[in-house]
Amino acid sequence: MSSNTKIQDERARERLIDLAAEFYDQFAGGQIPEMRLPTRTKSNIEYDEDAEVWVYGDRTSTRSANSVRGARKLLKAVYTIDFLAKQLEEDRSSTLRELYYLSESWDTKEAHFSDQDESNQLVEDLEIVSEVTREDFHMRPEESGATLMGPLLLREQTRRGEREIHCQEDVGEGGYQIPNNPDTIEFLDHDIDFVLCVETGGMRDRLIENGFDEDFNALIVHLKGQPARATRRITKRMHDELDLPVVVFTDGDPWSYRIYGSVAYGSIKSAHLSEYLATPEAKFVGIQPQDIVDYDLPTDPLSDSDVNALQSELEDPRFKTDYWKEQIELQLDIEKKAEQQALASRGLDFVTDTYLPERLGEMGVL
Amino acid sequence: MTSFQSTLGDEPGIAEELAESQREISIAEFFEKNKHMLGFDSGARGLVTAVKEAVDNALDATEEAGIAPDIYVEIAEVGDYYRLVVEDNGPGITKEQVPKVFGKLLYGSRFHVREQNRGQQGIGISAAVLYSQLTSGKPAKITSRTQGSAEAEYFELIIDTDRNEPEIKDSRTTSWDRPHGTRIELEMEANMRARQQLHSYVKHTAVVNPHARIELREPGLDAPLKFERATDQLPQETEEIRPHPHGVELGTLIKMLGATNSHSVSGFLQEEFTRVGKKTADKIVDNFRDRHFGREMAWSGPPSHDGADLESAIVGAVSNKGRDPTEAFAAEVVEVVSNRERTSHQELRFIVGNAAETASDQFEVTFGETVRENALEAAWGGLTAHDAEEEVDLLTPSLYALVDEATSTRKDDATVEALAERLARKFAGVEDPRHRVTKRELREFVDGAADATQEYDDVTVGDTARENITEAVWSVMRTVSDAPPKVAEVAESRDTASQLLEAMRETDILAPPTDCLSPITDELVEAGLRKEYDADFYAAATRDAEVHGGDPFIVEAGIAYGGDLPAEGSVDLLRFANRVPLVYQRGACATTDVVKRIGWRNYGLDQPGGSGMPNGPAVIMVHVASTNVPFTSESKDALANIPVIEDEIELAIREAARELKSYLNKRRSMQKRRKKQDVLGRILPQMADKVAEVTGRERPNIDGALARIMNNVSVEREFDGGTVTLMVENHSDRSEALDVTDIVSEEPTDVEADGETTVVDLDGEWFVKWAPSVSAGETATLTYAVSEDASFDVNVDGVEAEKLTVHA
Repeated sequence: MSSNTKIQDERARERLIDLAAEFYDQFAGGQIPEMRLPTRTKSNIEYDEDAEVWVYGDRTSTRSANSVRGARKLLKAVYTIDFLAKQLEEDRSSTLRELYYLSESWDTKEAHFSDQDESNQLVEDLEIVSEVTREDFHMRPEESGATLMGPLLLREQTRRGEREIHCQEDVGEGGYQIPNNPDTIEFLDHDIDFVLCVETGGMRDRLIENGFDEDFNALIVHLKGQPARATRRITKRMHDELDLPVVVFTDGDPWSYRIYGSVAYGSIKSAHLSEYLATPEAKFVGIQPQDIVDYDLPTDPLSDSDVNALQSELEDPRFKTDYWKEQIELQLDIEKKAEQQALASRGLDFVTDTYLPERLGEMGVL
Repeated sequence: MTSFQSTLGDEPGIAEELAESQREISIAEFFEKNKHMLGFDSGARGLVTAVKEAVDNALDATEEAGIAPDIYVEIAEVGDYYRLVVEDNGPGITKEQVPKVFGKLLYGSRFHVREQNRGQQGIGISAAVLYSQLTSGKPAKITSRTQGSAEAEYFELIIDTDRNEPEIKDSRTTSWDRPHGTRIELEMEANMRARQQLHSYVKHTAVVNPHARIELREPGLDAPLKFERATDQLPQETEEIRPHPHGVELGTLIKMLGATNSHSVSGFLQEEFTRVGKKTADKIVDNFRDRHFGREMAWSGPPSHDGADLESAIVGAVSNKGRDPTEAFAAEVVEVVSNRERTSHQELRFIVGNAAETASDQFEVTFGETVRENALEAAWGGLTAHDAEEEVDLLTPSLYALVDEATSTRKDDATVEALAERLARKFAGVEDPRHRVTKRELREFVDGAADATQEYDDVTVGDTARENITEAVWSVMRTVSDAPPKVAEVAESRDTASQLLEAMRETDILAPPTDCLSPITDELVEAGLRKEYDADFYAAATRDAEVHGGDPFIVEAGIAYGGDLPAEGSVDLLRFANRVPLVYQRGACATTDVVKRIGWRNYGLDQPGGSGMPNGPAVIMVHVASTNVPFTSESKDALANIPVIEDEIELAIREAARELKSYLNKRRSMQKRRKKQDVLGRILPQMADKVAEVTGRERPNIDGALARIMNNVSVEREFDGGTVTLMVENHSDRSEALDVTDIVSEEPTDVEADGETTVVDLDGEWFVKWAPSVSAGETATLTYAVSEDASFDVNVDGVEAEKLTVHA
């Protein structure tokens, strides 16, 4: 392991101990221990003009030991801090789920997590107050499994040594598996013209089978639904470090627009990491409501929850642009949604031969 | 029967024949057939009732003699029967009285007395004797020793049910270890299935008679149940009282009128009723006169330009008295009348009389009776002139003002005028020239006038307007001074008696005195509950006396909560009447109805569905003391649903329940606080340990943080009788300056405090402002005196809410 990571680990550990020291000082000063966090709701995210991403606003909420509930939360926080600090010291890692189960082994029942949402949320809280990412705490999600495929040569630092991998030639049809902490990757060489993030596995496979990556020098990232942090992080790194345009290709429904939103602007839950994860320059390919009309795609009717989600997106600061307002209102008007695979109604090659080249041409990517 | 029918006409002796089988039924015989009415409907219940009757008698006897009761109850199995022995340390019963007391139904000292006693009719104990003799065939064995006598008298007796007379089977003197007292031994067919009720009865008796010592032995008990004395204070002795005027019925009144020695109604009222003195009697008699004679209408004096007419009319009516005296006389009458707002016939007679006297004195001319009568007639005629044909009407203007005042402003002038005119015509048409009418007649006039107005003028005159007009006119009418009918006269006429009764009910009279009652008092109610129930909280309330049917009554309520009381199921309701526990027929009792209709959730008790018996670890007790407790039946098991009594029961229970509520609220908030303290007391040290471990430092002192979290400035109120104490306790580590404002509903006096205080009166609420400065660990107090029914609302500023706990 490089000394670089060692230093990073040491910094993360220090930040955690500082946090504990803060509680210590509050106790010693006769104060009620508390932890102040930005309020993590839609109404408290705002656009950061400089970074061009959405970050938390000024409103904060306080976890205080004043109430039984608050005291329990802080107790769990301190136990988690202790655990994470030890994990860093021993250079080990664990998953979020493991943390949840691990709390059962702590010596006080009061510190046991009642469900995994609670432990996940606590780790996010600690990320925010310590300004250290979860990856740097050596915490990883249960499964990542997202893949990429394209003309890229990289070097990955694995626990079993460094590996150089070409993401077209050295991998199978499944592609290259993105590691949990993509910051262990170094880009060596590439032939990429643009990065194409695809929501569904079916469409990703279609593009690979049709050789879209080879024909258009595209790096195809499979988002697997709502993208994991690692997926978003590597996308951002490719954009920033290799200066590549990024486009996102999803289904044509409100939930998929949010997938685009989290790639481009960051998610509400991880707005504290927007600068690190979001790629504001990412463009939306489709399926646009306009495409449903233009290509006369087979559709499903909008459900009530779809309509609610669209309406809530009209209120969402991340979607407050003319383009999205137009598209969302159009969709509310036609009351229809379409999947990516609906393009197959025009033939299996339609998407690679016609739709994507046309759309990407319009967008100036091709 | 058919054969009788067909020959009915031929058998003139049939009625006589039937008469032979018709005979008087003795009261004893009647009850022999109707045992259930007295509570002897089953063997189980009969035993409880017998115990109850004997113990009630024992308590009454000892209390009357001023002896602290010591009562022994023993039940034993004797072959197929049960033997009941009840002994007391009462004054004993004389040899002559013993057979009658125990062997004759309806023989007693209390039936005719308005005084609070346990027994009332003189049925109970002799009914027990009767029951025993009917079921076992054995006589009752009575031993009684009066104070100071060397020997005790022993009797064996049964009741001759045909004659309702005692039959003595054996009688002799005997020795007895008690210096005085009475012992009764009864054998009866019975069983112990009602053991629960028996125990409840004895236990509850002990609750409401904390001055009594009671011992119970029965076959199911290993050791005797003993209830010791909780106080040496005997219940207040009761006085006999006369009936209250508000509580008699017409029949009773007529009976009393017939029996009294008084001749005048006023004397009768003062003599036979409680709370009636000369003044009250006068008020009643005036009201009686109004009903009996009616009132006289009083008319406003002559309009100024008619003064001369009136004067000349009087002059014209006086003859042969000389010009000067006559004119002087007439002028005085007119002057007096003109200066008066209104004058009735009777008042005018008085005025004429006075003027005649003055004139007689001045001119030495005698104005005799005839002259006065003539002058009076002329003056009255002048004052009340009314002749439709001649268009003379002095009455309407006099009524107009009254009608105008009494009707709403929406009635236009013409309507008021029309009403007044029609009403004037009614008065002018009264047979009695003195314009004497009763209120009922007056209302008829008003109705007649109103109906006519409605019919001819097409204006509605509603019921309220009619009522108002009647009241307005009635209020200016004068009560006559005629002597009211004598008692004998009233007694003879049902109508007159009923007028008197109405007058009695109408008059405001003081509530009856309560020295005929002996409430347990809230203190002893609480002591009684404390003695028999191991609870966390006790409250009691005694209401002021009220009257029902001429009998005063007092309601008391007590509540015990928590402790060893069972938390499951509904609360226990203890019902008492004149210190006697009511054991049976709970569902039929007014007390139960009242408890069920109170919304107990408001008071912190669980009540499924929001009505019915509440649940929880509580005992509610209600005591009704009265000179005549209205029971639903002779067995005296349940109070009848009398609205006034129910209202008082409800108020008494609510009074006690309010205390319960504040106790429970306080307890809940303390529980919450304690729970928080417990949990935080566990979590925070663990957190501190972990923080110390992570940072590698010593364990920090968390007391400051913990104290801060646990609201450590407390404001507490104590309200004891008439004294309020507010205490500010500062458990924190720095001094606190508070601004306390106590809003009090009654005027506080004798305000004393650590620190500055001011009292501001704002519209009947008093703001006691107090600004104490309390150092760490210190306590500051504020005290003031205030009447007991004051209510409070305290407001505390100057301390962060998180550091403050207010229990006030």
